[in-house]
Amino acid sequence: MKTGKSNVVQAVILAALGLAAVLSLALPQLFRVEREPPLLSLSVMLRDTDSSAWTAARQGMEQAADELGAELRFLTLTVAGDSGEQETLLLREIEDGAAALVVVPADPAALSSALDQWLVVCPAVTLESPMKGAAGTVSPDNALLGRQLAEALAEDWDGGTVLLLDTAGSCAGIMDRLAAAEMALTEAGIPAQRINALPEENCRWLMAFEPAATQQAAERKEAEGKSYSLYGVGAATAITAQLERGNIAAMAAWSDYAAGYLAVRRAVSAAQGEEGKVVPLPFSVLREEDIYAPENQKLLFPIMSSSSR
Amino acid sequence: MNVFRCLAAQWAERYRKMSIQMVLSLSFTAVAAAGMLLMSVSLIWRFSSASEQLVAENSQRVLAQANLNLDSYLRRMMRISDTVYYRSIKNTDLAEGDITGDLALLYEENRDDLVSLAVFDGQGGLVSAVPLTALKQDAKTVDSDWFQAASQSMENLHFSTPHVQNIFDDPDYPYRWVVSLSRHVQLTRDGATERGVLLVDMSFSGVEQVCRDVTLGSGGYLYLIDGDGELIYHPRQQLIYAGLLEENNRAAASYRDGSRQERFQGQSRQVTVKTMGYTGWKLVGVAPAASWPASSSQLPLFGLTLLLFSIFLMAFLNFLISARISDPILRLERSIRELDNGLTGVEIEEGGCYEVQRLSHAVASMVSTMRHLMDDIVRQESRKRRSELEVLQSQINPHFLYNTLDSVIWMTESGQQKEAIQMVTSLARLFRISLSRGKSIIPLADELEHARHYMTIQQMRFKNKFTTVIEAKPGTGELYTLKLIIQPLLENAIYHGCASSEDDGMIRVTAYRDGEDLLIDVEDNGLGMRPELASSLLDEDRPETRTGGSGIGVRNVHQRVSLTFGEGYGLTIFSEPDEGTLVRVRLPALSREEAERCQQGEEL
Repeated sequence: MKTGKSNVVQAVILAALGLAAVLSLALPQLFRVEREPPLLSLSVMLRDTDSSAWTAARQGMEQAADELGAELRFLTLTVAGDSGEQETLLLREIEDGAAALVVVPADPAALSSALDQWLVVCPAVTLESPMKGAAGTVSPDNALLGRQLAEALAEDWDGGTVLLLDTAGSCAGIMDRLAAAEMALTEAGIPAQRINALPEENCRWLMAFEPAATQQAAERKEAEGKSYSLYGVGAATAITAQLERGNIAAMAAWSDYAAGYLAVRRAVSAAQGEEGKVVPLPFSVLREEDIYAPENQKLLFPIMSSSSR
Repeated sequence: MNVFRCLAAQWAERYRKMSIQMVLSLSFTAVAAAGMLLMSVSLIWRFSSASEQLVAENSQRVLAQANLNLDSYLRRMMRISDTVYYRSIKNTDLAEGDITGDLALLYEENRDDLVSLAVFDGQGGLVSAVPLTALKQDAKTVDSDWFQAASQSMENLHFSTPHVQNIFDDPDYPYRWVVSLSRHVQLTRDGATERGVLLVDMSFSGVEQVCRDVTLGSGGYLYLIDGDGELIYHPRQQLIYAGLLEENNRAAASYRDGSRQERFQGQSRQVTVKTMGYTGWKLVGVAPAASWPASSSQLPLFGLTLLLFSIFLMAFLNFLISARISDPILRLERSIRELDNGLTGVEIEEGGCYEVQRLSHAVASMVSTMRHLMDDIVRQESRKRRSELEVLQSQINPHFLYNTLDSVIWMTESGQQKEAIQMVTSLARLFRISLSRGKSIIPLADELEHARHYMTIQQMRFKNKFTTVIEAKPGTGELYTLKLIIQPLLENAIYHGCASSEDDGMIRVTAYRDGEDLLIDVEDNGLGMRPELASSLLDEDRPETRTGGSGIGVRNVHQRVSLTFGEGYGLTIFSEPDEGTLVRVRLPALSREEAERCQQGEEL
């Protein structure tokens, strides 16, 4: 009787040990499968036809894609700010199996309506402007940026009307900057007026709220010898050069590299079903004399090299 | 403490109840498992240490190579600086000649590594420069770090941290990142010497190219800092500049050369530092602990698999070995228990290892000896008892002898000589058969003859108050029987059956075969008795009562038969009050040869 019980106990011990050994052999295989996720396909679409102003952002995107196991497809519009074309191209990307989208929306509201039913299966992360239904927006605090840029102008202001260059169309993020600047100027008792295009006549003060408009206004000032003081946004080399040459009085700048990196990082996590929140990008309002401060060098002049690992 | 005592007591109790096989196998397995666990932990620890050491050595080797490459690169830059200074500046009076040609030549030879070459006077004014030849209007040369470092420490060459060179007027505004190599130089102008600064702007990509291809295993990387911990190169430099990543470069600046463990942002990693000779820059190799071979999740799992499989094998072997050791002991114990329970014919198996074989052999030998001793004792006791009974039955009741002789005297005195002679003759024959030359087993015919003579004497004494019929059925003529077994039964029949009866008595003795047995019935028609009384007559515990017969009890006859032939043989008494009694003797049907063997004490 006792021997029979012993045999049962021994059989149970042997079975448990054997099972444990087999399990410990099988576990590494399970881990190995988990460690090799497939590459995620991300589609990136800007609202400009020329992506040279987004070089740093693109570098940041590629860095993030390299680190997080994603594959980027960059798409360019044939007409700048063409919301319809943007919708068509993005829908085609979704149908082609894009895991997530990174978009600079030309018209956030229209794009949101067009992609509404697809955003569940293919999350989108926007740059510059927020969009309803998007998994996140990577941009500075647009209202704060507009306000601080207006405050910089107010420091220099000695009379005259400030022209606010409204070139954003339906781009909500740019509109937020403009509205906040307008409000800050009004609060400071500075007369402000919105215009839709660069003024033909001479003016004293001009504010632009997107990089392309800023660069265009600075180049025109230099070319035509305009005397307005320009306050703009952007961190591209061309805009920085205009700031250095004195064609821009002050500009709000942020790291496009960081913006690109964060956008792809958030897009990857959204494609993997993770919730997340994007913190607004830090920005600085710079004048000519600030350009070569060590921290601003790091902000304005990304090391354009093959430093990506 | 009480808990430990309680556990110890429980374990001791459990140990007492365990089988020897269980104790052996569990003990061996536990000891083996503990040993293997210790060995595994020791091996993993050793492997981990060796792996860590290997990673450190690998990092140091890689850093040494990177240091060589970087040092070679920087020395090349220093040679350019030396060439400009010693072959051009020192040999040229600026009032008479120009060094721009020499600078341009050197620049062209090294344009992949150089951004610009420039010489400044003590006030920061440009003396000569290539490829750009003009300064920005607002260039603050004197305030630049590289200018001040060269002015303050004149005997050395100074390397700056990476920065965007902003003093030259370049219509393209390329904003190139450079590392500036500056030194104090002595300019000659109109025969007089004056202070100046020589600037060699190295392209940052030159430093980067030396560092970027250095790999430190999976997940490892290398970065470069100056003596204050300021970052010069990092593979994710722009992420750090953008504030998206942090590096422990400030702390690394205080590390001495060699490898050490550090914990940064919750991650353990090995940091190897190599200080470059001239510049004081530090190459820092980072190997995250997660990338070490020893920290791989595969290693502990592989170790666990080995451990479990080893324990499994050891347990299997232990169970087999313990079973091989304990099974013979258990079988021996079971045999002894069976013996203890009185089973006969139990075989003691002499198996197992040597000691157990010896033990089994000793027990088997002891059991055999005990059996023989017990058989001897039983045989001796049986023989002794039978002898006693034979002695008892061989004694003639003195009353019987006295009464018989008294009857002979009375017959002689009364002239009944013929009857007297018959009685004496019967008595003589009775004695002769009783003696039978000392044999205890005699032919059935003799026994019946003995009964007949006894009844002759008794009939004469009792004046034929009863009649006797003695007959032997066919097939019994050659059989043998224990002697003097019928006479006590006849005596009982006379004294307890017929003597007190008022009717004429009838005593019948019948011998016949029943298969392999011989049956002898002694039947009377006397008073009889209750069946309960009849069945208790043979009870050994019943007190012995003397009868008025020959003095040899019925029970003695039964015991003699049982002792001689076994429990299956003996007497059976059937009786009913007023109807008579039948006493049946069951014996084996012995032939002559069997009787002789039995006589010699052999088993049937």
